[in-house]
Amino acid sequence: MTGRPFMEPGLEEPILVIDEGRRDKLPPGKWVRRHLFNSWHNTLVTVLLVLLLGYAAYRFGLFLFVNGRWSPVRRNLTLFMVGRYPREELWRIVAQVVIWSGTIGLAWGVAIAGASFRASQTGVAYREDPLLTKVRRYWGLLGLLLLLLLLTESFGPLILALVAIGVGALLQVIGKRVPGQYADLMWAAVGVLAVGGYQIVSGFHGRGWIWMATPLALGAVRLVGRIAWTDPRRERLMQLGVVAGVFGIGYVAYSMLDLEGVGWDHWEGLHLNLIVATVAIVLAFPLGLLLALARRSSLPALRVMATSYIELIRGVPLISLLLMAQFFIGFFLNTTTPLSALTRAIAAFTLFTAAYIAEIVRGGLQSVPKGQIEAGQSVGLSPFRVTRSIVLPQALRAVIPAMVGQFIALFKDTSLLSIIGMAEILQVRALVHAQAEFRGFGIAETLVFVMLAFWAFSFTMSRESQRLERKLGIGER
Amino acid sequence: MTDTRARSAGRRTSTVWYRNIRVRRAIAQVVAVIGVITLGWWLFSNLVTNLNRLNINTDFGFLGRPTQFQIPYDEGFNPRSSVWSMVLVGVKNTFLAGSFGIILATVTGIVVGVSRLSSNWLVARIATLFVETLRNIPPLVVIIFFGFALFTFGPFPIITEADQYSFFGSDHNVLILSNTVWGIPSLIAEDGAGIFWIGVLFGFVAAGLVARWRTGVFDRTGRAHHRVILALGTFAILAFTGYLVAGDAYSLSWPALGESGRRIVGGLQLNWGFIAVTIGLGLYTASHIAEIIRGSILAVPKGQSEAANAIALSSFQRYRFVVLPQSLRIAVPPIINQYLNLMKNTSLGVAVAYAEITSLTLTSIGNGRPAPQSIVVLMGVYLAFSLTISFVLNAYNRRIQLVER
Amino acid sequence: MRSMKRLAVLVLGLTLVAAACGDDASGGGDLLADVVERGVVRCGVNDVLPGFGIVDDTGAFSGFDVELCRVVAAGVLGDADAVEFVGLTAGERFTALQSGEIDVLIRNTTWTATRDGQEGATFLFTTFYDGQGIMVPTATGFTSLEDLADANICVLQATTTELNLTAVFNARGIPFNPVGFADNNLLRPAYEEGQCEAWTSDVSQLTAFKATIEGEGGAAQTILPDVISKEPLGPLVRDGDSAWAQAVEWSVMATVQAWEFGIDSSNVAGYTSDDPNVKNFLGVDGFETGIGLPTDFVVQIISQVGNYEEIYNRNLIPIGLPLAGTPNDLWSNGGLMYVPPYR
Repeated sequence: MTGRPFMEPGLEEPILVIDEGRRDKLPPGKWVRRHLFNSWHNTLVTVLLVLLLGYAAYRFGLFLFVNGRWSPVRRNLTLFMVGRYPREELWRIVAQVVIWSGTIGLAWGVAIAGASFRASQTGVAYREDPLLTKVRRYWGLLGLLLLLLLLTESFGPLILALVAIGVGALLQVIGKRVPGQYADLMWAAVGVLAVGGYQIVSGFHGRGWIWMATPLALGAVRLVGRIAWTDPRRERLMQLGVVAGVFGIGYVAYSMLDLEGVGWDHWEGLHLNLIVATVAIVLAFPLGLLLALARRSSLPALRVMATSYIELIRGVPLISLLLMAQFFIGFFLNTTTPLSALTRAIAAFTLFTAAYIAEIVRGGLQSVPKGQIEAGQSVGLSPFRVTRSIVLPQALRAVIPAMVGQFIALFKDTSLLSIIGMAEILQVRALVHAQAEFRGFGIAETLVFVMLAFWAFSFTMSRESQRLERKLGIGER
Repeated sequence: MTDTRARSAGRRTSTVWYRNIRVRRAIAQVVAVIGVITLGWWLFSNLVTNLNRLNINTDFGFLGRPTQFQIPYDEGFNPRSSVWSMVLVGVKNTFLAGSFGIILATVTGIVVGVSRLSSNWLVARIATLFVETLRNIPPLVVIIFFGFALFTFGPFPIITEADQYSFFGSDHNVLILSNTVWGIPSLIAEDGAGIFWIGVLFGFVAAGLVARWRTGVFDRTGRAHHRVILALGTFAILAFTGYLVAGDAYSLSWPALGESGRRIVGGLQLNWGFIAVTIGLGLYTASHIAEIIRGSILAVPKGQSEAANAIALSSFQRYRFVVLPQSLRIAVPPIINQYLNLMKNTSLGVAVAYAEITSLTLTSIGNGRPAPQSIVVLMGVYLAFSLTISFVLNAYNRRIQLVER
Repeated sequence: MRSMKRLAVLVLGLTLVAAACGDDASGGGDLLADVVERGVVRCGVNDVLPGFGIVDDTGAFSGFDVELCRVVAAGVLGDADAVEFVGLTAGERFTALQSGEIDVLIRNTTWTATRDGQEGATFLFTTFYDGQGIMVPTATGFTSLEDLADANICVLQATTTELNLTAVFNARGIPFNPVGFADNNLLRPAYEEGQCEAWTSDVSQLTAFKATIEGEGGAAQTILPDVISKEPLGPLVRDGDSAWAQAVEWSVMATVQAWEFGIDSSNVAGYTSDDPNVKNFLGVDGFETGIGLPTDFVVQIISQVGNYEEIYNRNLIPIGLPLAGTPNDLWSNGGLMYVPPYR
């Protein structure tokens, strides 16, 4: 217990940080003595652990670089990434990776611009992390990328990675330069890019226009709001008109374009894991929000129904819901064309995740001080306005890290798709080892590869959520 | 939130009835309930229509019919046993893997969580490595990994050449290790077991009384209470008396290789699926519990420790009476959640051929039992599990939360 | 007010859900016409079974069952590539067929009475006669089922192999321990590393794995002479649509008839014969069977995919399954492949 008090950002009280290895500036000799050999039993533990760790590292390195039979992964890298996705349509996924990389870059840049805008208003200087810190932050993902590039047979993936990172960086710079007061319009642009990245694969047709028109309409409404209107009624009318116009144009454009893509039933491999997790959390969020509000409602009937749904879903394992999806969820609907296996699985994921999101949001709702609500009521806001403008913004801001955590859990849970035979990355192993030349060959290697893929994404995201948590100052208890 | 409005609205008796907030609330609820019931009814009627259209029967009669298959590593079960008894075997195995997993997860989680706060930099780093590695890999993959790493590609010999360990000079094996099944000694209840348990019960009650008495003495006089030692002593004496009176309530059963040399007879047999699930889930959950433990210890304000130092408590006393009670209060609810998750995650035993309830249900569906009903039974079993655990542990949680406030 | 608004949102949501769920189910009935209109056959296959259905590194399906799907597409639609393959697990295959997710199931599925009766499926022409066998490492010295007392026997979960195994061993009073695996990718290493002393599966599969294990320098393997079950494998369709069932069945049987006539993909284009049976078979002179298939369906099948022997040679010979002298040989060579005449 030789720690010293250390002020953790976001925590009000100084806490005892014993693990301060990297933080104090001692000469190496002194540091080693203090942190590794400060008593006879610590010395013993250190020596034993060094030996053990050295041996483990040696064995793992030997496996990774010398003994490992990586040819099943090398040959089937595309299969691991996208499964049986039609190869002649692969350009769509390439475009998606680039667009989404750009989307993330833009969102990042806009977030920074917003933060520094707010900072300038509150008088606290915003400081950006140096490049080295960023690299260190993403070393998991970068490591995976490096491993992937080592395993490729052509330069295509390398070029793709460079282009994607380049586009992301470019859009991040652009997003950062846009003044903070235009953040809402930029967020609409982020939404359009995100939907566009999705539809470049799924195609611009059918009901896709709804998804595309939504961010556009939101952006248009904000744009109208920027004009100095004298008559608020006129402004309302104008906004309504703009929304109707955007949706109308979207509908017409999509029915005229009617560009068929590759439906999600054909998405497989790691791509599928990421997509299922994303789609499920996007679809589950509104449902979870409604459930949380219902559970916190003062109406007993709503409360009971929401509570029983949440407890019912949380009481059973995800796999039983997936089995339900596989065997009879389709029978609950009255459809001529049966739902595809993936649609049913996503339905199960969504129903499952909604219950967990509801609990997260409920925690957020509880964290909003009662005084806030009373303040809202005292200025005569309707209960709806209180919830919408006072409670939810604060509650949702508080739950961002928990939502990232839920997304990670969901991403890991997508591995269960393999049990119902969907070709996500873990199941691709089965496909690979059914091939004539890899039957029973390199089984451990493919498993390690899949582990690394899951690990890199989850690790990076969990780091990000921890950082967010510190930044938003939600760690305080 | 709406309470103030409700009250003010209630006083103004002159309002039109449909503007009365109570009426509105009632209507809103009725409409919501009707909406949900309609939706439920619509879904259900679709289900029935579709099942009828496809000629799938919906009765649960299959539960009483024989399974016609055998359950791995379960000699009490034969192909003529009913599907219902298969469900019971599955429940037993789920419970076994879950409870052993919980024990492993708790112990490892506490050790790793405390290690993360160690003053030894290397220990803290290795604990971090453990946590960050395990919690970022899907539990399904972790279980498959341990199945492979321990057994399929592991260090243990095949069953016919199993390692047998015994005490020096003893004929009995204390441990048999192979790559399919491990044998450890077990207890077998004899005739006197009932009497022994009555002794244990008496001991338990008496120990409780002694503890209360000593607590009372301590509260009144402030003298050292020694309640733990005295209560345990009472319990041990009574339980041992019960054992003596019963006359060998239990006998030890030693594991040994059977005649064919291909199975273990006697003792407790742990099959590899069980071990892979227990260790895989135990360590996976431990990584989460470690984080909870670490967070909860850090969350106790430093002032508390300093205050304890100021009144000259020893390091043990500081932990036992100041830090732990407070951190436990923070840690218990999330740890309960982790236990529930672990219990539910035993369903991933499918991947290593462990005969828990999900895996058996899948086998049974594959052999022609109706899927919808089987899955309904499966979900019912898990619900019962989860509700029981959360009920018991929440009761405990309520208790410690109340005591502290 | 708040609750009213929320309620409105809820009701709106429910309406949307209801609207999204689409309208009345009135389809069904004429699947053949539906498939022709859709222009693609949805075929349920295995994607992890060597020789019968696997996926290569480009994501393309290949295998014996997969080619039979292509046969159906060539027969019904005139285009062997107009197939949408759906990889299915053993557990979900019947549900997929019943719910209409697939049109035809060609996934090494054994024809049994209960399946015919309870799963709402109609079994068609048997395309492969298999039987369940047991493989052991030669070094163990096992030669009969009785030697396997107390053995751990690996088996694929949720298949009829598990039931057959239990039935046979129980009938002979041999104690055993079945270890069920979800897929071969977990089962095979367990077998090779001695976690189970025997592996039971269809002989076709055991033969394939025997060849690869020995080919990779593993221990020598023996397949015990006892074949403990009959496993006729073939295509299945949903109950209650005989037009579609006939179209599938006659398409598949055409490959055997072509083999019998000596017609294959190399000579079908200019094939001439004075035999009226052959002429009818090839649809020369506009011979019409009335089963709803195009007149030239046989020509399309044979030219685009090939006859039974070609399909067999492409997929099953490489994994070590002989054709000559097995039940899968032509009836004229002493096998069981016998199809009704095309006249």
